[in-house]
Amino acid sequence: MAEQQKKNKNLVKDVSFRVVKATVKAILVYLIYFLLAPMLAPLFGLIPGFMESIEAFIAVYIALMILSDLTEKTVFQYFFNTARALFFMAYLLLSMGNGVFSTSYENFSLTVNLTLFYTVAVLLSLLGFARTILQAINFMHEKAEASSNLPL
Amino acid sequence: MNLPIRMLGIATSIFWIMLIAFIALAAYSVKDLKFDFGEPEFATSPDGQLSFSLPLYIDNRGYYSLKDFHLSTVFADTEGAEISKDTTFVPVIPHGEKTTIVHNVTLSLESLLENGEQYLFNDNNLNISVTAGLNFAELLPAQISTNFTFPWGAPFYNFALGEPSYGRFDSTHAEVAVPMSFENHAVFDIAGNIRIELYDDADSLLGESQTIVYVPQQSAYNEDAEFQVPLNAVSTSAAQNWHFNVYFDTGFLEYGPLVIPYG
Repeated sequence: MAEQQKKNKNLVKDVSFRVVKATVKAILVYLIYFLLAPMLAPLFGLIPGFMESIEAFIAVYIALMILSDLTEKTVFQYFFNTARALFFMAYLLLSMGNGVFSTSYENFSLTVNLTLFYTVAVLLSLLGFARTILQAINFMHEKAEASSNLPL
Repeated sequence: MNLPIRMLGIATSIFWIMLIAFIALAAYSVKDLKFDFGEPEFATSPDGQLSFSLPLYIDNRGYYSLKDFHLSTVFADTEGAEISKDTTFVPVIPHGEKTTIVHNVTLSLESLLENGEQYLFNDNNLNISVTAGLNFAELLPAQISTNFTFPWGAPFYNFALGEPSYGRFDSTHAEVAVPMSFENHAVFDIAGNIRIELYDDADSLLGESQTIVYVPQQSAYNEDAEFQVPLNAVSTSAAQNWHFNVYFDTGFLEYGPLVIPYG
């Protein structure tokens, strides 16, 4: 009975810790966005719809991050991490197109070739995606190993 | 397997930090990049070239050098036909240095006249397309372009020969005085010679007049061109069928004949 109570107490403590951790991480990410957004707003203002898309990206990213933190130590954590990595790549691919950024202001037109940065960012996010897959495999492997070591 | 995953995570994080730091430094460097234009200068050369010089001052206080800086200007007529194109290229603008670039644009009056004599006698608008490009931080090619119109002032704006007046020169010739007027709307002074030939209805040369002109920019010219015409021609010919052939020679441009009916 006492062991059960102790187990329940540990579970509550663990879940509370996850909730606090997820909240703190989400607040930190949002705080970074909140501080950087006004500085980058004049630049982003040149591209119509870019600020709105950044806001949507931050919202989805934070939601996946919270879900990943809440489902820590389960296989779902890796699902959400993978989803986050895939979402990041998809956002990069969709928002950057061919990597050539063009904008017009009055009768001036500016073209910046961001292909190199774009390529490096996609490669790094691909590396992050590979990492989450490896983590998932490792988790399943450790779980299978732990269950096979259980005394019969 | 935990260790390789951790190492992969660390490596990815390091590369992300490097990429973000580079982007942040590049963006910060753009802030410290200052462009300034000097006073444009116009000049004419004896071979009919109109030169336009624009000094450009670049103060690169950023962290990165600018490479392959190029500035090109294309002059086109109102129909979009290219009249002239000039490019200024600077291989490198080092960081922390001030660089002065003089962008020279040459406009050939001959090629301008090939597009029509209206540039000589009527004010017009030329389309100018300016493109500036550089390789920022050696990795980020960027280009800015703009279009605007340049008001072209005609050097012989509203050129006209007025009503002739007659006078007796000697026993065989009459003197015909023809008022000649125009305004120099160009960005350069006109110093040269205007030759006018007077022909009768059978295309026989009756008389010739040479006038040396000096007309500063944005000023008007009003003088008489004088001809000595045989008296018998004045009395017998139907003057309304005569015509003038006008030839312009200002050193840097030659044009003619401009055919103007007599009277």
